[in-house]
Amino acid sequence: MANEFNTGDMLDVYLFENQQLLENLQDMVLAQKDADAFDEDSINEIFRTMHTIKGSSGIMMFDEITKASHKLEDIFFYLRESHPDNVPHQELITCVLDTADFISGELEKISDGGSPDGDATDLLKDLDAFLNKISGGEKGAKADTKKEPEPSAVSQFYIAPASNDDIHYFKIYLTYAKDIEMANMHAFKTVHDLKDIASDLMYAPEDILTNPESADEIVQNGFTILLETSKGEADIRNIVKPGYDLTKVDIYQCSKSDYALGFDSVGSEIRIDLESSVEEIEKKELQKKASEEKKIAPGDFVVEPKSPGKAKKLAKDKPKKVEKTTFISVDIAKMDMLMDLIGELVISQSVVLQNPDLKVPGLVLDNFNKAAGQMCKISTDLQNVIMSMRMVPLTATFQKMNRIVFDMSRKLDKDVEFEMIGDTTEVDKNIIEHISDPLMHLVRNSVDHGIETKEERKAAGKKEKGKVTLSAKTESGKVWITVSDNGGGLDRDKIMAKARSQGILEPGRPESSYSDKEIYQFITLPGFSTNKKVTEYSGRGVGMDVVVSNIQAVGGTLEIESTPGQGSSMILKIPLTLAIIDGIVMTVGNTAFVIETGAVKEFVSVEESMMIHEPNGDESVMIRGECYPVLRIGDKYHLKDYATRVEDGMMVITEVDGQKFCIFVDHLVGKQEIVVKPIPEYVKAVKGLSGCTQLGDGSIALIMDPAGLIN
Amino acid sequence: MDELEVQRDTQKGKYVTFKSGNEYFGLKIQYVNEIIGYQEITAIPESEEYIKGLINLRGKIIPVIDVRLRFKQDPFEYTDRTCIIVINVNQLVVGLIVEKIAEVVEIQEENILPAPTIGKADKSQNKYVYGIGKVGDQVKLLLDPDRLLNDDEKIALEQITDEEEGEE
Repeated sequence: MANEFNTGDMLDVYLFENQQLLENLQDMVLAQKDADAFDEDSINEIFRTMHTIKGSSGIMMFDEITKASHKLEDIFFYLRESHPDNVPHQELITCVLDTADFISGELEKISDGGSPDGDATDLLKDLDAFLNKISGGEKGAKADTKKEPEPSAVSQFYIAPASNDDIHYFKIYLTYAKDIEMANMHAFKTVHDLKDIASDLMYAPEDILTNPESADEIVQNGFTILLETSKGEADIRNIVKPGYDLTKVDIYQCSKSDYALGFDSVGSEIRIDLESSVEEIEKKELQKKASEEKKIAPGDFVVEPKSPGKAKKLAKDKPKKVEKTTFISVDIAKMDMLMDLIGELVISQSVVLQNPDLKVPGLVLDNFNKAAGQMCKISTDLQNVIMSMRMVPLTATFQKMNRIVFDMSRKLDKDVEFEMIGDTTEVDKNIIEHISDPLMHLVRNSVDHGIETKEERKAAGKKEKGKVTLSAKTESGKVWITVSDNGGGLDRDKIMAKARSQGILEPGRPESSYSDKEIYQFITLPGFSTNKKVTEYSGRGVGMDVVVSNIQAVGGTLEIESTPGQGSSMILKIPLTLAIIDGIVMTVGNTAFVIETGAVKEFVSVEESMMIHEPNGDESVMIRGECYPVLRIGDKYHLKDYATRVEDGMMVITEVDGQKFCIFVDHLVGKQEIVVKPIPEYVKAVKGLSGCTQLGDGSIALIMDPAGLIN
Repeated sequence: MDELEVQRDTQKGKYVTFKSGNEYFGLKIQYVNEIIGYQEITAIPESEEYIKGLINLRGKIIPVIDVRLRFKQDPFEYTDRTCIIVINVNQLVVGLIVEKIAEVVEIQEENILPAPTIGKADKSQNKYVYGIGKVGDQVKLLLDPDRLLNDDEKIALEQITDEEEGEE
């Protein structure tokens, strides 16, 4: 009962950790994408990451993930141990990113409740091919040196310790799973692990590192290691454990003389081969004869102690060390609950502090007020903390863009540099989810349409390398995210021509009267694309309007700036948080409304003489020579007991998409930070209301959405 | 037996009954979260007449509906004695304003008759009633909360408007 195995939690942890690992991995890879090769630390880090993913995926029985991560681990194991010079770095990056993509794709499936049913076969093939290429290449390079006798200094690499009493000699037979690929790499790893305890060591087949065909031999005939060590059999078993790759480990102790004979002594410890057919055994005999021609003696085995990584190979810029903060993941529902509770606390606090019982005349409340002041302070702090908990830096979102720029610049054969500024700017988590897609679209547009081709750039006398900058900053309660490029900029005439052909221009308005800003806004209209060519990434004209509507959904705006020949900038202005807004509370009749402070231009008291009544019932008001349409909330929502005389109420001037209008309300109550809550779904959506909130006294106010009011 | 089952077992056959108009209605007790006193309701403009608005239930904002108006009976005046039954139907939490809470009664399965289909068909509350429970010489109209909350007509109407919009 109590020991019920909670796989749900385990799965959550698994997903969270591995997603984190993959993100870090990707960042690291991209940080060194322009280097000639990975530096030592990164190779180790990637190796470790893959090892961890392999391990945890193995536990969770996600086989394909295990295989993929294992294969990449093999590659990096090889890199770490052999330091090959001729690694095509870009291909290696592709390998790593492909593997990371595959795994994160699978993880996504798992987190969506599906099963990781992806097939890693193709990926494994690619990785194998790559590993063969780099290890095979190594073989070619070493072919000449191979025949020369190894330098004697190197052969002393495994000099036996002076004491010879506790020297043991072992013969180890390893049998690998039949379906395993690159068995030579597995074998090499085992050898590598044993190196630590070995005073001398040799193995057959001996060309595991250089000859990819040795893999088949190992699978067929097994892998034999002769080991001279001061450790006992148990220690060896500790190092060489049967696993999913290694099916059987046989260890025999032998005498020194047997050991000196090398692999010829195999006969003295006859291994009964039950699994192989007669033909195979015969073949094996033949092979053995062949190998007799070239005897291997102990001490011949060396691992080339090559200096780890040459200077030129190292990444030019080592990634900056980022201070790591420790995190725990918390269920967002719990956070919401905490937030609700704090909201409640604030309300009950005001109930206590403004309790009518305290209003008894003559009551001395000095101590009470002191204590109450302290309590208020704490609850304010508490509110601030919970708010800050919902805020997350944009870093992860920006990093994703880095990857997109990288992928696209390769595919489109453009040389694009990507710069991030202010990626630590914090935004509410909910908002980040909403802006991730639009941002991706804008970045794609910048690389695809913004940055010209290499030839065009050259012709225009610009540097071949284009640049896309993604920057974020907080200004006046909003977050500004700018995607800018130093490409060709928007073509005013082209957009105008397109607008003309689509008939969006206002009839009768001279074309010259359109400002640049207005013209650039055309590209945000549905179906508007000046790009004649549809590419994999963009050009269908379904992008910008979706971007704009997504941004508007979170209360943001998009501005476009462009200089011909210099590039263009897309500026997103989004609110810091959706959960808490700065609002102005007002009443109409008995109902309290809240309007976001940012939406309000000004409040004006007007007189009847300023009103203009049109015959159809529409009203306008003339304020300082400007005419604003008037919307009476009381009329619109059929409320009761609201002020009808304009002198009794207040005009709230607001602006939506450049159109100014007045909202007529009864009273202004005050400015307040409000916690936005959705109107329960049971009630059908009301135009012009975007949510509700509770006020300090526990009553409910409705949040007005000016854009919804006029539509 | 786990706690939930025990709970279910003790709740079996129990109904919260309340008076609306001249009749007594019963609601299965497992739908009922709690019963609270009347509190200030914030009206929502442009919503159905029977949806009275929103209340703040300890930080949670829930809609409340007036059962009498839902049954198309005459409105009544709310007093201090007016109660709100908070029910939870398939995760939908709604408050029901009722005239008077009666009592919690136990009605055995054999004492529940199917709702009559003839004779009283003109009364609009009938479509929300799935059965009639006999308690002594009294009868309670047993309400189907799902039908009470979700208006078939409303859903049908929404579908029509959706289709129209889709055709545009």
